[in-house]
Amino acid sequence: MSSVTELRPRTPAETRLLQLAEAQGENENVRRPAIEALRREGLPTRRVEAWHYTDLRQLMGKRLGEESAIEALRESGETVLEPFLHGSSIVDLGTSEGSHLPKGVSVAKSDERSDWKVTPNRLDRSIDTIRALNSAFGANSSAITVEAGAAPDHAIELRPGVGLSGHAHTRVSLGAKAKATFVERLDGNAQGAPSTGVTELHLGEGSEVLWIVDQEKGLDAVHLGQLHVRLEADSLFRLFVLNAGGGLVRYEVHTDVVGEGADIQMRGVNLIRDGQHIDVTTTLNHTVPNTTATETFRNVVTGGHGVFQGIIKVARGAQKTDAKLACNSLLLSDEGDFSAKPELEIFADDVVCGHGATAGEIDADHLFYLMSRGIPADKARALLIKAFVTEVVEELEDEALQYVLEARIDDWLSANG
Amino acid sequence: MPAVQETIDSVAKIDVDQYKYGFETLIEMDVAPKGLNEDIIKLISTKKNEPEWMLDWRLKAFERWKTMESPDWARLDYPPIDFQDIHYYAAPKSMSGPASLDEVDPEILRTYEKLGIPLKEQEILAGVRKPDEPSEFDDDSGTPPAGQDGRPRVAVDAVFDSVSVATTFKKELQKAGVIFMPISEAIREHPELIQKYLGSVVPVSDNYFATMNSAVFTDGSFVYVPKGVRCPMELSTYFRINERNTGQFERTLIIADEGAYVSYLEGCTAPQRDENQLHAAVVELVALEGAEIKYSTVQNWYPGDKDGKGGIYNFVTKRGDCRGDNSRISWTQVETGSAITWKYPSCILRGDNSRGEFYSIAVSNGRQQIDSGTKMIHLGKNTSSRIISKGISAGQSNNTYRGLVSSHRKATNTRNFTQCDSLLIGEECGAHTVPYIESKNATAQFEHEATTSKISEDQLFYCMQRGIPEEEAVALIVNGFVKDVIQQLPMEFAVEAQKLIGISLEGSVG
Repeated sequence: MSSVTELRPRTPAETRLLQLAEAQGENENVRRPAIEALRREGLPTRRVEAWHYTDLRQLMGKRLGEESAIEALRESGETVLEPFLHGSSIVDLGTSEGSHLPKGVSVAKSDERSDWKVTPNRLDRSIDTIRALNSAFGANSSAITVEAGAAPDHAIELRPGVGLSGHAHTRVSLGAKAKATFVERLDGNAQGAPSTGVTELHLGEGSEVLWIVDQEKGLDAVHLGQLHVRLEADSLFRLFVLNAGGGLVRYEVHTDVVGEGADIQMRGVNLIRDGQHIDVTTTLNHTVPNTTATETFRNVVTGGHGVFQGIIKVARGAQKTDAKLACNSLLLSDEGDFSAKPELEIFADDVVCGHGATAGEIDADHLFYLMSRGIPADKARALLIKAFVTEVVEELEDEALQYVLEARIDDWLSANG
Repeated sequence: MPAVQETIDSVAKIDVDQYKYGFETLIEMDVAPKGLNEDIIKLISTKKNEPEWMLDWRLKAFERWKTMESPDWARLDYPPIDFQDIHYYAAPKSMSGPASLDEVDPEILRTYEKLGIPLKEQEILAGVRKPDEPSEFDDDSGTPPAGQDGRPRVAVDAVFDSVSVATTFKKELQKAGVIFMPISEAIREHPELIQKYLGSVVPVSDNYFATMNSAVFTDGSFVYVPKGVRCPMELSTYFRINERNTGQFERTLIIADEGAYVSYLEGCTAPQRDENQLHAAVVELVALEGAEIKYSTVQNWYPGDKDGKGGIYNFVTKRGDCRGDNSRISWTQVETGSAITWKYPSCILRGDNSRGEFYSIAVSNGRQQIDSGTKMIHLGKNTSSRIISKGISAGQSNNTYRGLVSSHRKATNTRNFTQCDSLLIGEECGAHTVPYIESKNATAQFEHEATTSKISEDQLFYCMQRGIPEEEAVALIVNGFVKDVIQQLPMEFAVEAQKLIGISLEGSVG
C-alpha cells in the first residue's frame, strides 16, 4: 500500500498544505520529521481503513484547492468570544497563557513535542495523519496541570490560537482525586483555515474530568482534532461533544483504560447540514479488568455527510469489562447521508459489550400521536427532533451546562431543522 | 457472563482434533502440472471441451488477475499464498468428465458413502426407497416413487477435486423443466444461458479471488428453474477436495426465472493434511421477478490441527442478485471448518419489494480464523433485509463478523435489521464485529444490534411475567432463536447442524 502512495502525484491541496507548513518557520526540529512524513505519505484516501468514510485527500482538495483559501487563512483575524460557561478561566493555547486561573491549576509552555516521531494511526497501520499535521504546523505546546485534590469551582476554557497558530498541542494532567471541567472551544470565523488540535489528557487515580467540545466553526472551516485520554484506577472521564458547525471536521477520541474501576461516559450530538462533512471517531480501549464505559452519539442530518466510527477493544485478561456504545441517526432529508461503523474487538470471555446503531427518519407513529393531540405537523416534528438530541444532554445532570447546550442546539434546529 | 458448561461441552465435540472427514481416497488421478499460466488455463478449457468464447473469457480474467493485489483488509493472518505451487486441475483417471452413476469409480462412491452422502442409497436417506427395493439409478428411465410422508428428496451433484463425478435425479428434474448439471456440461449444452448470466452478478474483475476463479474454475453446479416452476426437490452439491497440493475452484450459477422457487444446499470436506490447500469459489444467484432462492451451506473443510498446521484456506465470493421485483434470496450458513474463512454471501436488492436474508452460525476452534459476514445493498424501493449472525470462538481462534448494509439515495422505505452476537469460550480466543452502515435515504430504517439482552427485553418480560425465572427465560429465548437459524437449513444437513443446536448462547457478548 505504501509503495502506491509514494508513487502517486501530490494533489494541489497537499502541495499547499506542505507549503503552509514550511512557511511556519518555528520549531524546526518538531516540524521537519512531520513534514517529511506527510510529504512521503500524502493525505489518506478511503483506501486507508481509518479514513474509509472521510477521504481526506479528496475532501481537502475541495476546500483547499483555491489559492484564495490560503490567503484567507493568512489573514483570518482574532474574534471576540464570550466564554462558553459563565465565569470560566480562559487559556490561550496559542501562547500558553491563562487568565484568572483557579487555585491548583497552572499552565506553562512545554517542549513536549521535541522528540516527535511518526506514530501509527490508532485504527490501522497507516500514519497518524492528524498528529503529523498538528506537528507539521505546530507552533506551540502547552502543559496544564491540576494538582492532586484540587477541585476548581469553575470551568477552564481552552482556546486555540488563530490563523497559522491554530494548531494546538496540549497536555493536561490531573493529580489524584482532582476534579475539573474543561471546555475545548472550537469556534469563530475561521474562514477556510485548516486547524488541528491534539490533546493528551491524563487522569490520575480517583480523578474526574468533564470535557466539553464545542465545535461551532464556520461552514468553510476545516478542523482535525484528537483527544487521547489515559485513565488510572477509579478515575471518571465524562465527555460531551457538540458538533454544530464546521465544513470538514474530524474529531477523534482515543481512550486507554489502564486502572481498575475506571469509568467512561461519552455523549455527543452532531448536527449536520448541507455542505458539511462531520466525522466522529472513537476508541474505547480496556486493558485491565473491572472497567466500565458507555457511549451514546445522536446525529441529526438535514444534508451533508455524517460519519461515526467507534470501536470497543477489550484486551486479553480485561475481564468484567462492561462497555456499551450506541449511535443513533435521524436522517431528515435524502440530501444527507450517514455512515456508521461501530466495531467490537474482544479478547476476554467474561465481559458484557454491545453496540447498537440505528438510522432512520422520524417515527411516523410518534408524529401521529402528537398531531392527534392537536399539535401542528411542523411543531410536532421539531419537538421530536429536540427530544431525540436533548435526551443525551440531560444525562449530563448539570443544569447550567444543559441550559447552555440546549440553547445552542435550539438555535441550530430553528435555523436548519 | 462466561459461557455455560453445556455450551463448552458442545463446542469441544466439534473441536479441530475431532475432524472425522480427514481420510483420503487412494485413487489414480489425472493431475495437471503445478502453476498458474495461460497454458494451464488452455489445458483446463480443453479438458472441459469448452467453446472458444469460454476460453477467451478465462484468459481475459487471467490478464486482469495479474494486475491485482491480494486483499489485506480482513482480520486474517496467513503467509502469502504461492499460486504457482498448486495443481489447478485434478480428476480421477477413470473419468474425464461427468458420467452416469453406473460408470462412477466404486472407490469414489465409497468416499461419498463415508461422508454420509451415499449417492446410490440416497433415496433411502430421503425415505423414498427401502434398502431392498431397486434403486432409481439401476433403471434410470422409470419414474421414481413420490416421497413418502412429504419428506423432501434431494438431487446431488458430487464434485470430486476438479470434476463433477455424478449428478442424481437429473431425469426427474428434466421433466419439471429444471436444469441441474455440472457447469462444465452447461457451458456446452446451454451456452445461451451461461453467456447471459455468468459473471453478471460477480463480474470478472470483482475481487482478487473471484478473478482468479474466473480464470481457472473447473467445475461446480448449474441450476436453471424456468418460469413459474417450483423445483420438485432440494438440490445440492457436495464438494470434496482429495488430491494433495490441489486447489478447488468451483463455480456455481443458479437462476430462478420469474415466479420460480429453488432450495439449494452445499457441503464441503477435505482430507487431513499438514499442508494448506486453497479453495476459491464463486457462487452467483439470480432471482427474477417473484422468484425465490434459498441457499444453504454446511462448510466443514479440514480446519487444520490444534497447532494450526494444515487446513483449507477458504476464499469464497458468494452473491445473489434480486434482479426482479418481489424476488427473495436467503443465505444460511453453518461454518465449522477451514483454517481460514473469507466469505461474505451478499444480496443486491435491485428489484422493488425484494428481500434478502442472511443467517449464520460460525464456530471457530483451535487456530481457525474466520472473517465472514454479508452485504445487503438496497437499490430498489421497499426492499428489506435481515441479518442474523452468531459467532462462537474457542481455543486460540479469531472469529470476525464483517458486514455492510447500505441504501441507495433513491431507495425509499428500505428496512434492515441486523443482529450479531458472539460468544467466547476460554481466554485465548477473540471475537470481533465490524459492521458498516451507510444510509443515504431518509426513509430507510436501519437497525443494528449486537446484544442478546436488548433484543429480547419484551420476550423476557413476557416469560418472567408468567413465572419463568430470568435465566431460564433467557435460555429459552436464545435456544429458540438458534433453532430458528438451524431450521433455515434443509433436512439433509440437519445431522451436522444438530451438533450446534445444543449450544446455548447464554453469556454471549455483542
